[in-house]
Amino acid sequence: MFGKSVKVKVDRDVFDRLRKIADVAGYATTEEFVEHVLEKELLRFEEAGGDDGAIREKLKGLGYIS
Amino acid sequence: MLGFLRGAKRFGDPVIVVSGLPRSGTSMMMRMLEAGGVEIMTDGEREADVDNPKGYYEIERIKNLEKETDKSYLREARGKAVKVISFLLQFLPSDNRYQIIFMRRDLDEVLTSQNKMIAHRGSMDTTFDEDMKESYRNDIARVRLLCRKKAIIELCEIAYRDTVNDPVATAATVAKFLGRDLDPTAMAQAVDPNLYRNRKA
Repeated sequence: MFGKSVKVKVDRDVFDRLRKIADVAGYATTEEFVEHVLEKELLRFEEAGGDDGAIREKLKGLGYIS
Repeated sequence: MLGFLRGAKRFGDPVIVVSGLPRSGTSMMMRMLEAGGVEIMTDGEREADVDNPKGYYEIERIKNLEKETDKSYLREARGKAVKVISFLLQFLPSDNRYQIIFMRRDLDEVLTSQNKMIAHRGSMDTTFDEDMKESYRNDIARVRLLCRKKAIIELCEIAYRDTVNDPVATAATVAKFLGRDLDPTAMAQAVDPNLYRNRKA
């Protein structure tokens, strides 16, 4: 982690689950795992460009896109 | 806000875009704007039917917004209102300013209404409601991100249910957002609560 870090509060149960999975999946720390998951999720919004096959199919069926 | 105002000289009056997921009250909002005194841009090609008895207020060409390269026709919509479904907002050209009125409705109600419409149209649909809910949540998040990133866009989210329950309040909110002197009584009268048919308990 090279940038400045900030604290984010999460539910204790969620954190315990994150810690377990981070350990099993081989992450060095829980923070590293959380950051990896969040980065992936952000990319889904920032770079996917709305390219969602399910939405396309639905909108075509409804007659809202060509 | 400042960036949006700065674009006025370059791009002229903003295009008023009524958007949202299909079946979230976009046609209702178009009717409200029309009643309130906003000029509407529609080709009238898609006729009223059992799903939208008061009309769709659409432009067929906009459905091709993703693929079409020449989008200059949208300049004609400056100062007027057009309907653009949420998924297509990302393909709006950057040579206009946009005031987006984004209709929000409970996703279960949206999907119930969409599924009925698909059945009426006899269309194929292999999607699952739970998957669609997730996709639509992402779609809405993308719209919000897009609106935050682009200085040429202003966004106002309007709840469908609140509009049916208190159309005068929504009319006032919309008029303030657009910065226009609209007729709130006429706008409120354009809301037909009988068309709120797929209601979650």
